[in-house]
This record gives sequence, C-alpha cells and structure tokens, in this order.
Amino acid sequence: MVPTHRRPPPIYRLARALRWISALVLVALIIFAGTVIYSAVQVAQTSAQSRGLSASFAANGTVEIGGSFTLSNPGLYPIDGFKLTARIANSSGVNLGQIGVGPTNIGAFSTGVFPIALYLPVSASGPTASLLTVDQTLRVNAWGNATYAYLFPLSIKLAENRSWGAPFEGFEASVGMPLGGGGMITLPVTVTFSNHAPVSDAGTLTFVIESAAQVDCGGGTFAIAAPPGSLYDQTQDVTLSSGCSPAGGQILSTYSNGGTAISLPPEAIP
Amino acid sequence: MSFSSGYVAPSSETAGYRIPSLGYRIVIAGLRLVPTFFLLIALPVAALSFASSRGIALPISTYAVTAWGIALMSLGAARYILKPTRAYGPVSIVASAVVLVYLLYLISLSPYRLTIPGGSATLAAGYASFLEIALIMPVLGIIVGILVTIEDAGSRTERLLFDFPA
Repeated sequence: MVPTHRRPPPIYRLARALRWISALVLVALIIFAGTVIYSAVQVAQTSAQSRGLSASFAANGTVEIGGSFTLSNPGLYPIDGFKLTARIANSSGVNLGQIGVGPTNIGAFSTGVFPIALYLPVSASGPTASLLTVDQTLRVNAWGNATYAYLFPLSIKLAENRSWGAPFEGFEASVGMPLGGGGMITLPVTVTFSNHAPVSDAGTLTFVIESAAQVDCGGGTFAIAAPPGSLYDQTQDVTLSSGCSPAGGQILSTYSNGGTAISLPPEAIP
Repeated sequence: MSFSSGYVAPSSETAGYRIPSLGYRIVIAGLRLVPTFFLLIALPVAALSFASSRGIALPISTYAVTAWGIALMSLGAARYILKPTRAYGPVSIVASAVVLVYLLYLISLSPYRLTIPGGSATLAAGYASFLEIALIMPVLGIIVGILVTIEDAGSRTERLLFDFPA
C-alpha cells in the first residue's frame, strides 16, 4: 500500500504558491479599486468650492478679489501634490493676474482650505485701463494636478469666459457752457457713469481741470455713493482761475476710497 | 484503507485520482462563464454605455471590450476543461498571455482624457500604475503554466493526484 497523502512535488507546490499569490493580488486589487471608486465618488460629491469671495479696491490701482478655496476629501485615500493655477486675461488677451494653490497634500478624511487673493490692475494707464470704465469679457484659464490614492494621477484644464462689470462703466467728465464775467468764470462739470461692479463705489471723486498748457485751472470733489447697478450723474460748478482757459485741455479724475486712490482715464475738453 | 495520522490509502481502481467526465467539466466550465461574463463584459459594457449615453467620450469601444471578454472567457473555459490533460499548461500560458496583452493594451490608452459635456473643462485620469501592478497576475499565470507544462512533461499523472484526488 502506498499512502496518497504524500507531499506534492516541489514544482507543483511552487505553481500552487504562485497561483495563491496571483489570487491574493487579484482580490487586493479588486478591493483597492472598489474603495478608490467609492472614495473618488465621495470627493466628487463634495466638490471644490470657492467661499467668501469679495472684491474691493486695493493699493496700486488694483481690485482685489479675495476669499478661500476649499477642497474636502472625505475618502479613504489622500490627494497628493494638489496644485491649482488660474490665469485671467482681458478681452484683448493681455494677462491680468494669476492665482495659485499648492502644491500640497490633503489627507484622507480631511479638508484643505487655501486663501486666495487675486489683484486685477484697473489703473488708468497700461493695457488694462479699460477694466475700470468698460465692461468686458475676461478669459479664465485654470489647470490643476494631483495624484489620488497613490496610483492615479489626475489633471484638469478649465477655460471659460467671465463677465466683468466695470465700477465706472461709461465714465464721462464733461464741461458745460462757461458762465459769468468780469474776470470770474464758472464752469459746470458733469460726471456720469454706471456702477456695473458687484461692489459699491463709495468715496470721493476729485477732479482737476487742466488747460492745454497743463496749467491747473481749478477743480472740485464729488461725493460718490453708487451701489452696484446704479447710475451716477452729478454736476458741479467750478470757478476757474483767472485767465485760465480750459479749451483743449483735459479733466483729470481720481477716485479715493479709504486711503486707496485710483486714477480714472482723463477726459478731453473740446 | 485509512492509516493513522490522517493518511489515506490510494484507490487502486483510480490510481489515487479521479478525473471528472468531459461532460461534467463542460457543464462546470459553462457555469463558471456566468460570473466571468458579468466581470469581463456585462459590467464594463454597462458602464461604457452609461457614460456614452451622457455624451462622455469612451476610452475604449464596447466592441473591443466584448471581443476581449469573449476571448478571455473562451480561454478560461478551455483551460478548465483541459485541466486533466497535458494541454492545460500551454493553454494556461496562452490565456495568461492574452490577459497580459489586454492589460498592456489598456495601459496604452492611459491617461483617459475626458471633456466634460456642456463645459470647457478637460479631465485626464491616469491609471497606468494600477494596471502595471495588475500585470503581476498574468505574469505569474504564465510562470505557473510553464511549471505545469514542465511537470506534465515529466509525469502526466503526477499533478492529477493532487488536482483530482480520489
């Protein structure tokens, strides 16, 4: 009699061991893939959010768009090397500004909160002058990279157009017919614009009437209180300096708001 | 006849092993096709059709998935049916090689680039690393097939004692 419960030959045992390893790898990969899909769906459902976005006039002739960017990761796996960049250009294609987040890691069951601050130049000079007085379409290009669950690199590109509402849309500073005589001449100055921005224009508008020879003929100050969507139209009489002719000159205006001064485009006087 | 310590005497009629009939093996192989069909064809095709119905570009066509699935299912069934024969090793090698080629084909499609419908966003998702790890399985399968082929070349019945114990 020969016992059948003998030890299998080495080659058989090796093949069997390899089959077991293969099966274990398969089970592990299925479990891993399943949990990754589940976690990815959790992340997608929370979606990234920009919170507390606000716009305000800032120093150096800029508008600051500030707030925070939040990305929640309720899943089982980390988001590594997360990096997000956004670039904004005006309708002419001139780059206005850029914001960036990361690179950073967002662990499992955690939330990443990143402050963002974008400064858009709105000064009266340079290629972006029209942002202050002309509504336009801004081009936003954003791209980001990350690696999810150690093995899955992700990248996203986003391009979209955003409407920009100018805070001094259609700004005009015009002069009327001179009045008076005997060496004392007053000139009515009218300022009109619409506030298409999401923030109020609140402060003062100081203007100077400059002759063709760049001599200061006089000036004044308007109190500005124009909430979003409102039309501003005010007239003020200015007493001109003796002998100063504004014809062929220009009106120089500066908007001031809590210590921030922004020059508006000069308006020619016919 | 039993021995102490769990040893069992061989059945002289079967030389220690009992091979299921061909008909039985075909039936079992057919039953094994059911879960394989769902895993390799039904689920992927359903997922692809779901994505396609929502305007999402597919990384691979449903025809390709179906064709590869049928090939893998056929080889898996043939492998099971031929297990008691010397063809088992070579068929195992071929089946694992086809899986290997399928995975390499899927790796070549990575990253998957997706343009989100109705938007201007493009998403690219790489999965090559994951599938590269999955390559372990067909590589091991090929090695196992080679070992079985070598073993069968030495003694056709040696493996049967343990694969089909009486």
